[in-house]
Amino acid sequence: MFLGDTLDKNLSSWMKKEGPEGDIVLGTRVRLARNFAKIPFPGVANKEQAKKVLDNCTKLDEVLSGLGKFTFYKMAEVDSLERQLLVEKHLISPAHTEATAYKGLLLSESEDISIMINEEDHLRIQVLYPGFQIEEAWRLADRIDDLIEAKQEYAFDNALGYLTSCPTNVGTGMRASVMVHLPALAKLNQLSQVLNSVTQFGLVVRGLYGEGSESYGNIFQISNQVSLGHTEEDIVELLAKITAQIIASERQARQFLIQSEQRLASEDSVCRSYGILAHARKIGTKEAMELLSNVRLGIDLGILKNLDKKILKELMVCIRAAHLQKIMGQSLPPEERDRLRASLIRERLQSASA
Amino acid sequence: MLCERCEQEVASVHVTKIINNQKTEAHFCQKCAKEVGGFGFGIEIPNIFSSFFEQPKIWGTTAHKVSSCPTCNLSVDDFRRINQLGCSDCYQTFRTDIHPLLRRLHGASRHVGKVPLKSHAKTRIERQVQQLRDQLQQAIDVENYEEAARLRDEIRALESRLQNMEVDE
Repeated sequence: MFLGDTLDKNLSSWMKKEGPEGDIVLGTRVRLARNFAKIPFPGVANKEQAKKVLDNCTKLDEVLSGLGKFTFYKMAEVDSLERQLLVEKHLISPAHTEATAYKGLLLSESEDISIMINEEDHLRIQVLYPGFQIEEAWRLADRIDDLIEAKQEYAFDNALGYLTSCPTNVGTGMRASVMVHLPALAKLNQLSQVLNSVTQFGLVVRGLYGEGSESYGNIFQISNQVSLGHTEEDIVELLAKITAQIIASERQARQFLIQSEQRLASEDSVCRSYGILAHARKIGTKEAMELLSNVRLGIDLGILKNLDKKILKELMVCIRAAHLQKIMGQSLPPEERDRLRASLIRERLQSASA
Repeated sequence: MLCERCEQEVASVHVTKIINNQKTEAHFCQKCAKEVGGFGFGIEIPNIFSSFFEQPKIWGTTAHKVSSCPTCNLSVDDFRRINQLGCSDCYQTFRTDIHPLLRRLHGASRHVGKVPLKSHAKTRIERQVQQLRDQLQQAIDVENYEEAARLRDEIRALESRLQNMEVDE
């Protein structure tokens, strides 16, 4: 029907591929905040200055041509549904969909590199990889950064580092984050303890869509809090170490769930979730995410066989409002979305269990 | 549910422990949980970021001589309201506000990370030299003289590059 191609075309490479430790770490992101020298930051820049920044960036695809093919978008020329799709795919921030004059986006073909222009800072360079690949993502971001800096001078201070609009980003301008799926820790009521201990190492835990967003389906983003006083390599190493600990804790919890005394309860819970998703006629995002989380856990534990692991990452993006409307080619009232969401999930589960 | 230790406060810390496949649950109030401790869930990494939590300074207590940035016109009040700066020069203009804020946010006020390759090549090399000197000291400390000799040569090479750069200027 409407699935297959339409859906597949809408997936970024980080969603399609599994990546290292992909059963727990859904994706890794590194972003660098950069500003050009001698031009006020976007919040204060006047029209001419903002336009100058945007115009300076239209040729960035040539600067980065060694890294692949890029497309440049003026956000004002992207329609509001498409903007929302970009947010749902984590390629731009929600703020980047508003007041779009002079805002831009440079996106690589596989959507693993996205550069927001005139967001809070002149440039927000972002690398998104599937699975646990913090160091790899940092290395690519570093390279992109060098290529751009070779053409245009950045706002940099010997003492304070890269100068950013918000003092929380000054220094390295870096935020490295991992998106982790922790259903077993959640089932054993260990989540708050593990996540609280993470914050003691100077890391922050956020929901699926970053700052201020709720966590759906036991998916969390963990990232560094500070950007000043530590090298990029130190930040990467810290996040990698803590993530490795979280992975170990989640694996331990998963192991517990499939031991003989627990096994029946785990199987029951997973299969009930599958049953609802396979038969529901209308479903909201939050419920769908929770059930999908459980089904993915069932796949990882070997309880559900012959199901595609990709379904969680794929569906967690595709069942969002803008994606549903894109698939249908029209705007939909919420109750219609619930119906379409249920039918999309049913169909995907069927095709995945072929 | 009441705390199982003091039996007075409401239990808000719930501990599920799995030791040798035996699952035990415990429920404590915040206070008892702190006293009982040991809920680290196997995460044992030295707290290298402990300095974050020191010196929580309340910002904005310093007297201000400058009320707005001469480059971009952002005022001190604007900055405090939106918590954002207008331009690179604001970091200099509002430094009395910003430095304590940075200490509070980052536990540090000096950048030690990446330096731009092209525009700050000199700084980049200077930092590299500093890092190599630290490594050299470590190598000497553990009596790894082979490594120390290699590092010394590397430092010399970078220093002569620095001198050449100064001549060019």
